[in-house]
Amino acid sequence: MAKGQKEPARAETTSASQSNELTASVASGASRLAAQGWVGIALWMTLGLLLEGLIAYRAPAYLQDTQRRELFRLAHAHGTLFGVLLLLAAWCSDRFGILPRAAELALRIGTVLMPLGFLLAGMWHPEGDPGWAIVLAPLGALLVIFGAVALALRVREK
Amino acid sequence: MRTLVLKSLVLTGFAVVVVAALVWAAQPEYRGIRQGFADADYLDSQKCLACHENHFASWARTHHSRMTQEARPDTVLGDFERDNQLEYLGVKARMERRGERFTMTLTMTDGRQQVYTVDRTVGSRRIQQYVTKQDGQYVRLPVAYDLMNRRWMSLNGSFFHADSENFFQHQTQWDSNCVFCHNVKAQPHMQTAPNASARRFETEVAELGIACGACHGQSATHAEEASSPFTRAWWRLTKNEERKIINPRKLTAERSLMVCGHCHGQRVPEPMARIQEVMTKGDPFNAGEDLSQYYRPVTQATKIGDFSFANRFWANGAPRLTAYEYQGLLHSACFTKGEPGNRINCLTCHSMHEGDVKGMIKPENRTDKACLSCHQQYEAPAALAAHSKHKPDSTGSRCYNCHMPRVVYGVMSVHPTHEITVPDASLTATQAVPNACSQCHLDKSVNWAIAESKRLWPQRFAHTAVSTDEQFNQPEGPRALFAGDALTRALAAEALGGGGPAQFDAQWANPWLSEALSDNYPIVRFFAANGLAASEKRLPKPDYLGTASVRQTAYERWWSLYPSTRQAITELAGQWRARRVNVDIEVGE
Repeated sequence: MAKGQKEPARAETTSASQSNELTASVASGASRLAAQGWVGIALWMTLGLLLEGLIAYRAPAYLQDTQRRELFRLAHAHGTLFGVLLLLAAWCSDRFGILPRAAELALRIGTVLMPLGFLLAGMWHPEGDPGWAIVLAPLGALLVIFGAVALALRVREK
Repeated sequence: MRTLVLKSLVLTGFAVVVVAALVWAAQPEYRGIRQGFADADYLDSQKCLACHENHFASWARTHHSRMTQEARPDTVLGDFERDNQLEYLGVKARMERRGERFTMTLTMTDGRQQVYTVDRTVGSRRIQQYVTKQDGQYVRLPVAYDLMNRRWMSLNGSFFHADSENFFQHQTQWDSNCVFCHNVKAQPHMQTAPNASARRFETEVAELGIACGACHGQSATHAEEASSPFTRAWWRLTKNEERKIINPRKLTAERSLMVCGHCHGQRVPEPMARIQEVMTKGDPFNAGEDLSQYYRPVTQATKIGDFSFANRFWANGAPRLTAYEYQGLLHSACFTKGEPGNRINCLTCHSMHEGDVKGMIKPENRTDKACLSCHQQYEAPAALAAHSKHKPDSTGSRCYNCHMPRVVYGVMSVHPTHEITVPDASLTATQAVPNACSQCHLDKSVNWAIAESKRLWPQRFAHTAVSTDEQFNQPEGPRALFAGDALTRALAAEALGGGGPAQFDAQWANPWLSEALSDNYPIVRFFAANGLAASEKRLPKPDYLGTASVRQTAYERWWSLYPSTRQAITELAGQWRARRVNVDIEVGE
């Protein structure tokens, strides 16, 4: 009985421990997303600042290459907005509970791949087309879509 | 959690399928456009822009791109607002801008007025001609704008005809003439009535101006296949050259030459009966094809009925006019002795998407570089001097000054011949062909040039005889200016005026040019007036198209600057004129 008497306590302890682990997991997932979001915003806003400088000083390598200009702008816009998206994902994760690890990873990797693909494809590209690195952009887009869908379903569940 | 991931994957896959379907539906369909017409599968340059931004931009800055344009404020380059009148042969022309439209009003000698709308422009570099639409037919107007001298001119000032009484001598149908070389894939759609003079045209072109299709041919299949990023990636990855588009740089030299020769080599249909097909269905030639399947180049021997093209060539068969560069190159040893498939061709020196748009040539190819790429033995200055017998850094050692002398006329300018030859001064005495030596040594006689050739290059010229005709003991510049036919005189006037490689003391050259102001060919007076105005600022530039009295006044005023030499020069000029032969040339421009 003593044994039996101890059972609920252990169960409570386990449950509490699991709950704590869950909370910690949610918190760490959210903090990872938030940290990456803020870092992303900082980095891609820095690129935006660089682009402003290139425009201000009429840099021909940027202004006279419309393909590069478009790709760099896409990189800056996507990178920055994805930073905000990660912050929102972090908030949702915190508010609605843990995201599947795959979805969190998809969001975190996709939000890096897509703007990075635009950036690299604009640096080296043939006439009329982006560079080879552009393959990263649709790959990133797929991951972000998957992550966003998973997040949406998670929110709906709650 | 696993279910959530699976659901997410399914929804993501669904989104991908929807996107793929939408992209597929938006793919362009180019193949088969204009099926049944001569310009089937041709695309306009705007469609090429989507992928070839740099090439489009480098083409757009050329004069090719602006060869024929709809008349708009941004395309009309003539002065329709200020200095906008011309009086020639008693006809008064007044050019006016009315809002976005442009008109040319001609007041005839009897007071009748005719107002023409300017609907299209032709040319953007040296002269701009204007085309009006009358009853659905496009007609070239007789007054053009000289962009080099910023003035209006009668086309009599450009074509090789003496002053005439016919103001409308060069008013001509655009649909059956200019349209073929100044646009892509012209189709005049001529409708022949039983009465030949009643023929009508419903002209169509693939694109106005000399656009992508002129050199790259049909591009519908290429553009359609290239619209897939996977195809483009595959082409780049495999360096696949089968891109279903013509690239003149990747054709054999002969075929590449034909792409340019289609327009830069005046031609007649082969056989002549094909003219009907050309005038109705349209120009059958596509870039990359064998031009000789459709046309043969005009030569000295070519005739259409009673009309002979002989006057467009020097007596030795070399072209005298521009738009015959193809013929010139075909006769050149650089072409005939080259390795088949890899001979000299237009792109050896010219670049369509690089360099100076004036001449479509890279700066380095205005030097000896292009020639030295084959003739490396003359690269060292000592070897060059031993070959040219001139100082290596002088104009006499520039390859093209001797081997491509400026003996060709076109669009109010003198040009280097594209018949690359060894200079032979004796040809001037025997066949009235201008020689390269006398292009610089205008103050020396032809017999002097022959004697020097014998002394300096004895192996080649040992058996060449000096002329016994006394006129060839006289300075060749002035002799040609008065004894030659109209084209020879125009070339001499241009060279004496400093247009060529040699510059002369104005005190020596200008009296001769002053006398040339009395020439009965406007184009000779044009070059004489340019030469005088370039070296002497005390008097205004003579009006080469002025009335007889205006020109006489200018003639007297210019002679007043050089009174001491007048009598001797006019006497000598008179003697030479007595021996001249006048040859009218229909310049194909």
